[in-house]
Amino acid sequence: MFEATPIFSLLSKALDHAALRQAVHTANIANAGTENYSRLEVIFDSRPTLAEAADPSSGDAFFLDASRPRLVSTGEAVRLDREMALMARDAVRYQALLGAFERATGTLRMAIREGREG
Amino acid sequence: MGMFSILDISAAGMDVQQARLAAASANLANSNTTANPNGEIYKPLAVVVHSAPAVSAQGLPVPVVARTVERDVPSRLVYDPGHPDADERGFVALPGTDPISSMLELISISRSYEANLRAFDITRQLLEKTLEMGGRR
Repeated sequence: MFEATPIFSLLSKALDHAALRQAVHTANIANAGTENYSRLEVIFDSRPTLAEAADPSSGDAFFLDASRPRLVSTGEAVRLDREMALMARDAVRYQALLGAFERATGTLRMAIREGREG
Repeated sequence: MGMFSILDISAAGMDVQQARLAAASANLANSNTTANPNGEIYKPLAVVVHSAPAVSAQGLPVPVVARTVERDVPSRLVYDPGHPDADERGFVALPGTDPISSMLELISISRSYEANLRAFDITRQLLEKTLEMGGRR
C-alpha cells in the first residue's frame, strides 16, 4: 500500500538520505584525528534523464530516482565545531521529515476511517 | 540502511580517544621517571590512528588504533649530583616529554571525546524518534 502512495516512498527516500548524512557527519567526527583523513561529504546528483523528465506517468520517479547520493572526499581536514554545527542542522531536518511522515500517516489513517476521529 | 551501525562509528571514535588518553596520561605521569626496570629512560608514547573501512555502515571509514609507538625524543638533562641515577658529571636524564604539549593533547582528546559522545547522542535520539514513528493513535 505504501508503495502505491508516492508521498511515502518519497519521504522514506528522503529519510534514507538524511540518515546517510548523519552517518557521514559521525564518521567525520570519529576520524577527526586520523592521519591523512580527508573530510567526506554527501553529494546528490540531481540530473534526471530526459526520458524520466519527459514521461508524465513517472511524476514521482522524477524526484525519487533523480537524486542519487554519492560520497566524495573533500580533501580538507575535519573541523570539529563546523562538523558539529552541520550535524545539528541535519538532525533537525531528519526530525522535520519524521514529522512529515507522521502527518502523512495521520491523513492516511483519517481516510481509512472515512474521516471519523479516534 | 543500518542506522544502528552509525552508533558503532561513534563508539570506535571514543575507543581511539581513550587510547590517546591512556598514552597522554602515561607520558604526563612519567615526566619525572629516570629509568624503567631495565634501566632505560622512558620514551613518550604516541598513538597512531588509521581509518579502516567499516564492516557495515555504508562503507564509511572507522578509526582504529593501528599501534602505540615510542617516540625517540632527546631526553632532558637536569643537574642533580645527589640523585642515584645521576651520571659521573652529576646530570640526570629525564624523559623528553613536554608537560605543556601533554596538557594541550589532553584538551584535544577531551574535546574529541565529547564530540563523539554528542554524535552518539544525536544518532540515538533520531533512532528513538524513528522507532516511535507511527506509534501514536
